[in-house]
Amino acid sequence: MRRLLHSEIDFRHPFVLITGLLTALASGVVVFLFLFLVIQGQPAFTRMGFAFFSGEEWIPGETYGAWPLIYGSLVVTGLALLWVLPPALGCALFTSEYLRPKARVAMKAAMELLAGVPGILYGLLGVSFLAVWVRDVLGLIDGNTLLTASLLLAVMVLPTIMTLSEDACRAVPSEYRDTARALGLTRAEVVFGVVLPQALPGIAGAVLLGLGRAMGETVAVMLVIGGLDRVPLPWYDITQPGQNIPSKLGREAAEALGSGLHWNALIASGLVLFLMVMLFSLAGNFLLKRKRA
Amino acid sequence: MPFSRSDVLPFFRHAVSVFLLTTLLQVGPGAVAHAETLIRTGGATTVLPVVSKAAPEFTRTHPEVRITVSAGGSGVGIQGVSGGNLDIGMASREMTGQEIQRFGDRPFEVHVIGRDAVACVISSEVYDAGVKTLARDQIRKIYEGKIRNWKEVGGPDRPIVVIDKERHRGTRHVFMNYVFGNPKAIARGARLVTGSNNEEQAKIAQSDAAIGMLSFAWINEEVRGVGLNIEGRIVQPTSRNVANGTWPIARNLNLLTASPARPEIEQFIQFLKGPEGQAIVEASHYLPIRREEGSRIAQGD
Repeated sequence: MRRLLHSEIDFRHPFVLITGLLTALASGVVVFLFLFLVIQGQPAFTRMGFAFFSGEEWIPGETYGAWPLIYGSLVVTGLALLWVLPPALGCALFTSEYLRPKARVAMKAAMELLAGVPGILYGLLGVSFLAVWVRDVLGLIDGNTLLTASLLLAVMVLPTIMTLSEDACRAVPSEYRDTARALGLTRAEVVFGVVLPQALPGIAGAVLLGLGRAMGETVAVMLVIGGLDRVPLPWYDITQPGQNIPSKLGREAAEALGSGLHWNALIASGLVLFLMVMLFSLAGNFLLKRKRA
Repeated sequence: MPFSRSDVLPFFRHAVSVFLLTTLLQVGPGAVAHAETLIRTGGATTVLPVVSKAAPEFTRTHPEVRITVSAGGSGVGIQGVSGGNLDIGMASREMTGQEIQRFGDRPFEVHVIGRDAVACVISSEVYDAGVKTLARDQIRKIYEGKIRNWKEVGGPDRPIVVIDKERHRGTRHVFMNYVFGNPKAIARGARLVTGSNNEEQAKIAQSDAAIGMLSFAWINEEVRGVGLNIEGRIVQPTSRNVANGTWPIARNLNLLTASPARPEIEQFIQFLKGPEGQAIVEASHYLPIRREEGSRIAQGD
């Protein structure tokens, strides 16, 4: 206890005790969650071994191969980021560098409002319009595909990534812009040569936050991804239906609750999802640190 | 910055008293809520319309009872009762051996409150283009992925969108048992997997080339039930054919409870089996039961 606190803090003080307790509670939740996932998921790993990650068959009561779900999660999230980055960055730079203050505030308010819209509402839009458009535009037999899910996710995380990236751009001191202008750089050169590189760590943070939301989003994806536990053939055909981890958990959790290996396998895929999100955040932080050094 | 003890404590005491006050206030109404009894039901979306219509009728004459109805599918209903999360599990199929094992040595009861039939349904566009009947063999080949285009069964030149259901769903068990002779058969040709009857109905209506499985009660103008070609004889999906036994894909609508059930649960089930409950069963497009039929214990698989 002593070693954790600042030297001049009296840990017997009630305010210190209470806030300390709350801090322990908050960090305890993370530890509890992790332990819960590991302990409840462990039987699935021991029983299935590596086949849990590489297997393509998920038949409750027989075998649990999570590769289609892991694949779906990675593909859908990756594609969503690919679709969302250009518009999010463009919008952030435009709002931060070119808009008058009043218009900027209005734009920000709209974006923040959009960021708070519950996922299920996007899901409703997705099933009623997006899936039909994807089917008609690409001439598919059905519009519930990996591509549809990734497009929907891109729309969902756009406001988050855009508004946080815009904050990062605004955080670049105006002296930098003035100096660059005084040196004779054009507006465009200032934006791309000065503001963007300076704001890059903040933008990376924004992207990682968006990634977290995209990976964990359940209901909206569940409605448009197709729900088929299968890796498409060929593997890069994103106009095929698929499945991701949250959607699988959403569809099967209530049925499997406390029912032995099926439940363990679902928890184990939850652990995989948890670790994937963590791995990405760690990688992001590592890149950020290298950039600053 | 270090705090001194004196300037924080008054705030702290105040906070504690506010906290206690709000907790006490919350205890009040909570205690009243416990005076009425709660029946938690959940499970098959096929049985759900009957129970959710019957619940308010029943509570009108039994105001002390409160009934919650949730969806999820037969597997969820059965799992809910064996896990103690539900008082009544709705199931549109019989229990599997595995599900019976989960009860261990705790007794349970299955009550039949009606009968229903499952139809093979297709998008109205395909139906109108000429696919009015299918044979079991054709349906099996479609679900196996061996028939991939509607023109192979007399329809338009359009790929078939094969819609499968979540594996634990009652409708799927009954349908697959007829088509493959195995309630857990794997459908290699599936393009989509849906959950509730409503979800499947919506996906079939949205498509112009889909095939799926639905309870009779969900057949409508956009989602058409095809006739079954059984050795040259055409059997149409009508309630008369279900009643006289010629429609081959029929099943019981089951309510599962722990045994012995609490008196109010028993009363609710008797209400469903009685004339008022059976009228609701009929109004929901299912077949009523004759009273003497009673409950049939689940068959293993």
